[in-house]
Order: sequence, then C-alpha cells, then structure tokens
Amino acid sequence: MSDRIYEVLFIADPNLGDPELDALVAQVQGYIEKEGGRVQRAEKWGKKRLAYVVKKQREGSYVLLVVEGGTALVKELERRLRVTDGILRFLTVRVDEDLAKAERRKAQRAVEEAKRRAHTGGRPPAPAPAEPEEVEL
Amino acid sequence: MSQSNFGGGRSGGGGRGGSKPGERGAAGGRGGKEQGKRYFFRRRKVCRFCADKIDYIDYKDVKVLISFVPERGKLLPRRMFGTCAEHQRKLTLAIKRARAIALLPYASE
Repeated sequence: MSDRIYEVLFIADPNLGDPELDALVAQVQGYIEKEGGRVQRAEKWGKKRLAYVVKKQREGSYVLLVVEGGTALVKELERRLRVTDGILRFLTVRVDEDLAKAERRKAQRAVEEAKRRAHTGGRPPAPAPAEPEEVEL
Repeated sequence: MSQSNFGGGRSGGGGRGGSKPGERGAAGGRGGKEQGKRYFFRRRKVCRFCADKIDYIDYKDVKVLISFVPERGKLLPRRMFGTCAEHQRKLTLAIKRARAIALLPYASE
C-alpha cells in the first residue's frame, strides 16, 4: 500500500520547558517511527495564544509534524496522542491528495500559459485586454 | 464592531425569512447605511483565491483565513467575499480545521 502523507499538528502544554517540549516531540516521533512511519518535517511554532480555552490553557506550543505512513499508523498515533500527558489537542490531516491536486492544477496552468504564448507567435502575451470597468450602481 | 453586527443581522435571516412579498420587497432595500457596505464587497467580485492562483487553502495559514472571518468568528456566505464555489468550499473546510486546533475561534466572546 502506498503510503500517505499526513500533517499532524498538536498543541503541547505551554508550561513545559524547552527541554521537556523537545522530549515530548521526540517521544511523538518515536511513536511514528515505531509504527513504520517517517517524519518528513518537524516544525515548532513556539507558544501561541489559543483562540479559545483548551484544557484550561489560554496558550499552547504548536508543533507540526509532516508524516508519511499508512492508516494503521494514524490510528495508533492518535490513540497515543490522546493518552500522552502534555498534549492539549491534536489534528491529523491527510494532505497528499490535495497537494497533488494543487500541483496538477499548477502544471496545467503553466501548459495553458505556454499554449497561449505560442498562439501569439512567441511574443509575450499581450497585456490582458482591459476589461471594461464594471459599473454596478 | 459594526462588522459583527452586520454579519449577525444577515444570517439571522431577517430579510430572507420574511415570507410576505411586501416584506421581501422592503428587505431588498434593507438598512440604508449597510447597503453601501454591501456594494463595496460586491464590486470586487472576482474570487480572491482564483485571482491569486491559490489552489490549496491551508488551514494553518491564519493570516489568510482571518480575512475571511469576521470578528465574531462566523463563516460568511459566498456573496460576502465573492469567492467562487470551489474556493468557498475549500475555505470553509480550512476554517473548520483551524477552529478544531484553536487557531480560529468557534465564536469569540
């Protein structure tokens, strides 16, 4: 089964010191690797104010992990995140499909752009005809 | 402040709910002052995401999302921002995700 790419964003307890936070992140990475996943990227956003109170905290340290793995990984990882102390909240989002779609869209746009350029005989595309200013009142 | 009143009033459905034709007519020209504002949004009717060629609306990008959420934290209908159907769908999903992880409020106090 081909693996998927997920973004795991979690909020850690803001009262953790730097070394403790690092340990927590390492712990989560450990979960992932144990389940056969790969951490592509890890980002610490630092302490941010939460939009609402979560577990009696108004702030939280955000950590983003970009993970490659299968469905079993997510299942186990989420279970573990739920029982891990110091994690206020987490969100797992599958991103490979949407990003691939966006890529395709981008590529297609480039092709169309090239076509248009060829059509105008190699000249850079003429500045878009000024659209008549829409008068709407 | 005025903006949040604005959003609340609209989705409260004051105008929409009115079933009597006479009422509806009146609602069409609702709120003299507010109408000016409405046209302000209307005029820029190209979807901002299409214009900027953004294919993926990221739930992590609070800066972008916040500009589509009024102070009160509500989701607004497409007609407010002129987003196209596709981007509105993606935007809505992104905002909901951002809410789940406390980047955006569900409803601010």
